[in-house]
Amino acid sequence: MNCCVVNNETNQPKLPATLPGFESVKRYWDRSSKCITARVLPGQYYLSNKDEIITTVLGSCISACIRDPVAGIGGMNHFMLPCGKNAGTCEHDSAAARYGGFAMEHLINDILKYGGRRERLEIKLFGGGKMLGLMADVGQRNITFVKEYLQTETLPIVAQDLGGTCSRKINYFPRSGRVMVKKLGLSQGIELTRREREYLRSLEQAPIEGEIDLF
Amino acid sequence: MNIMVIDDSLAMRLIVMKTLREAGFDGHEIVQAEDGVQALDMIRAAKPDLVLCDWNMPNMTGPELLKAINDDGINPPFGFVTTEATKEMKDKASAMGARFLIAKPFTPESFKSTLSQYIN
Repeated sequence: MNCCVVNNETNQPKLPATLPGFESVKRYWDRSSKCITARVLPGQYYLSNKDEIITTVLGSCISACIRDPVAGIGGMNHFMLPCGKNAGTCEHDSAAARYGGFAMEHLINDILKYGGRRERLEIKLFGGGKMLGLMADVGQRNITFVKEYLQTETLPIVAQDLGGTCSRKINYFPRSGRVMVKKLGLSQGIELTRREREYLRSLEQAPIEGEIDLF
Repeated sequence: MNIMVIDDSLAMRLIVMKTLREAGFDGHEIVQAEDGVQALDMIRAAKPDLVLCDWNMPNMTGPELLKAINDDGINPPFGFVTTEATKEMKDKASAMGARFLIAKPFTPESFKSTLSQYIN
């Protein structure tokens, strides 16, 4: 598939502008797929109405791939719940629910803002692996949260690949809804676990909190 | 006191209500609405003491609701709790008479510091 306009003079692909607000997400021309690819890092999300691939690598984190096939808009998030004060047990607490709810709502709201309709949303879930070296089973905790969230919102899951002990590389095509999942080997999993542990620590040490404006 | 929570997401309404309790605002009546239309009917029927409202909702948005209750001359303390919080949104909220805008994700501490002056 070739989903990119190529500059005739330089023979380099032109990256079309992102939707407003997603300029910080790293994008590149992927030679093997011949497609512009946006790489979503932990804590980020990306939304597109173009023929792009959205890619990420997941260990115990969760990615929700959500689109409205009629409106032609879709995106992917990548998040993990903070453990808060009970880091040893990673119990499902309200701080975790607030952060996870924010991660899901941000993506869903942006899809609705670009013409998506809640009743048409097509949702696919990935990740939540039980990774060696992470305290408790944070992957299962993430899975439990996202399933409860979607059940509360009465939003159906049309496909999922969750849990297990592997890490995953996800390639999502938001225009078609197609997803390619590649299970990764142990060596990649070790590096991923290190990065996820850093992400988890950053959530615990500097909890993300929105601004407050008083008028 | 009567606190109204308006959000098209049930999950988020539940999170807001739980955070209110965790902020120490127990023992108050909390009513919910899932969009501006439903909220407007409820506000006209029984004026709440505080309104916590999402920005983007189907049928009637948060700013449209605030305009409607302003037009009706009903002026409960009204604040937005939103996922997105741009300068344009803040300017509009302020100009329309909103008391505050809390950007998600919020915490019990941010609720307590912002809402204490409105909740006994």
